[in-house]
Amino acid sequence: MRYIVIVVFLMVSYTPVKAIEINEQAVSCPATVGVEKIPLNLQQYKGKVVYLDFWATWCPPCKKSMPFLNTLRNELQGQGFEIIAINVDEKSGEASDFLKKYPVDYLTAMDPKGVCPQLYDVMAMPSAYFIGRKGKIRYIHLGFKERDEAEIRQRVLELLAEQ
Amino acid sequence: MNNLLKYGVIFYILISCSACSVAPWERGNLARRDMSITPNPARSSLRSHVFDSKEASAGGAGAVGGGCGCN
Repeated sequence: MRYIVIVVFLMVSYTPVKAIEINEQAVSCPATVGVEKIPLNLQQYKGKVVYLDFWATWCPPCKKSMPFLNTLRNELQGQGFEIIAINVDEKSGEASDFLKKYPVDYLTAMDPKGVCPQLYDVMAMPSAYFIGRKGKIRYIHLGFKERDEAEIRQRVLELLAEQ
Repeated sequence: MNNLLKYGVIFYILISCSACSVAPWERGNLARRDMSITPNPARSSLRSHVFDSKEASAGGAGAVGGGCGCN
């Protein structure tokens, strides 16, 4: 009997999380854009290669990646490339202040409740999900170091070459 | 049965605590400077240096020695 109780408690305590995987369709999540809090709609980017970036102001590598990402986005935008950054700061005001000081050209959505990273099962900060033209997740890149820049560019170019 | 239930609840509470983890995107507070072990590295280094110089005969802050029993 005792063992049964223990097993039941262990089963109750286990909370399975469905992690998003490569070649799965990118899911929409309740992040909002701007002061008007317009819901982020990933569907409108179908046909484009999207770099979905999870970042926060307290994360130094996230901030370090921003100038590179901005340059990459502006360089490849004409070929159908777009970056969507989802900020996961609990206080979105911190992100807005940061972006006023260090603006980027790509779209930044806010998710202070952290629902989006939960849906995407973010394993590190920053985490980037490369979404192909058909709306499927093709690569996942964890963290950011300067030496990752060439790999990120290569991955984006590969996805852009696909039809 | 009552005891079993009681111990079961205690066990459940204990394993519930162990199941809580801080997700990567929830580490904003942990990333704060004042949450680090040495929030002021320069001050810590200075204090360590002063301590070492005062307590050098006893090995300073570390446990050094060649095993001869003479520090």
